[in-house]
Amino acid sequence: MDEPTSTFSLLGLTFTWTTVVSTLLAMTIVVLLAVGLTRKVAIRPSRGQNVIEYVLDFVRGILGDQLPGNLARSLGLYAFTLFLFLVVSNEMGLLLQVKTGADVTLIKSPTADPLIAFTLAIMSLMIAHGTGVKVLGFGGYLKNMFFKPYAAMFPLNVVEQITNFLTLALRLFGNIFAGELMLNLLAQLAFSLNGFGWIAALPLEMAWQAFSLLIGGIQAYVFVMLTAVFTAQLSGQE
Amino acid sequence: MMLQTLSMEKAMPLGDMLFIIFAFLVLMVVLKHFAWGPLTKVLDERADKINSDLDGAEKKNKDAQSLFDQREKELAAGKEQASQLISAAKKTAKEQSDSLIQAANDQVAGMRKTAEQDADSMKVEAMNTAKKDVAGLSVNIASKLIQKELSEDDQRALIDAYLAELGQQ
Repeated sequence: MDEPTSTFSLLGLTFTWTTVVSTLLAMTIVVLLAVGLTRKVAIRPSRGQNVIEYVLDFVRGILGDQLPGNLARSLGLYAFTLFLFLVVSNEMGLLLQVKTGADVTLIKSPTADPLIAFTLAIMSLMIAHGTGVKVLGFGGYLKNMFFKPYAAMFPLNVVEQITNFLTLALRLFGNIFAGELMLNLLAQLAFSLNGFGWIAALPLEMAWQAFSLLIGGIQAYVFVMLTAVFTAQLSGQE
Repeated sequence: MMLQTLSMEKAMPLGDMLFIIFAFLVLMVVLKHFAWGPLTKVLDERADKINSDLDGAEKKNKDAQSLFDQREKELAAGKEQASQLISAAKKTAKEQSDSLIQAANDQVAGMRKTAEQDADSMKVEAMNTAKKDVAGLSVNIASKLIQKELSEDDQRALIDAYLAELGQQ
């Protein structure tokens, strides 16, 4: 987090190159995947269509486990996009990390950046709160959020809302960031010890990459599932 | 300088956040157009097709069953009808053969009766003829006997000659 960064300004706002480039790259990969796998959509699915249909069914399953049918449907597109973006983002940094000459990281996993993780968490919670207001009305939404199961729980409920937000963002960021940090440390080990470090580093790096692939998938699943859980809680569907 | 940039970034990451949210919204629109829309549509179509196929199969099955039942009934009725026809035909044939046999018996009996009558009448006629002949013969023999006084040998010769004549007749 205390790495050097490179920024640019536009319309009075400051943008970080790492964030912009990594996010755009991840989204480009998602779009290429989605377009490539759905080129010929048919009732009798091809192999590519089967893959993305499996992802779609998986996301629908996550939502359907937590939410009633109409809410699950209205959240479908968001959860589908979120899941694909998270999977690609989480795994991207395992394959590709690009640094400029000035030691500024240009490309890494977008979700290893706390800002991106927090932003995604904010979006998910906005959708959860918005759904709560839509389903319960504003008064019912407040009552459901703060005074359940009874009014004395108000302080704990406030804390719970804050921790929900923090855990959602920090769990994602922490897992992916730690994974990449470990990979970087192992890569440094490979180039140390008079050039023989790779003998020890190579198997460790392979094992850790496999583990991180698993973690990346799990964290994408957990993030989407928690989004569904919070939405269910905030719209009184427990 | 670097520190200042960092702290400004920490204090006001609004640009990055807005960029991420905007990019995410664009991504959602793109995915809706290329993946989510077509996929959900085709999934619904598939579900509809499976449902309608299942319904159609059920209906066809039911139709086939009712058709089968109907055929079965018709077959049973046909069998019944056929056996009735056969038994009726058998009965008719028996009646016809009985009447034929009866008629033949009657005819045979009639013929036998006629034949018996014919035989009887012929017999009577023959008897009458014979009687007439014997009477004639007797008269002849008597007249011959009366006409001629004969020795016993002559008489014998005469009778033999006469009998031979008679035998030749």
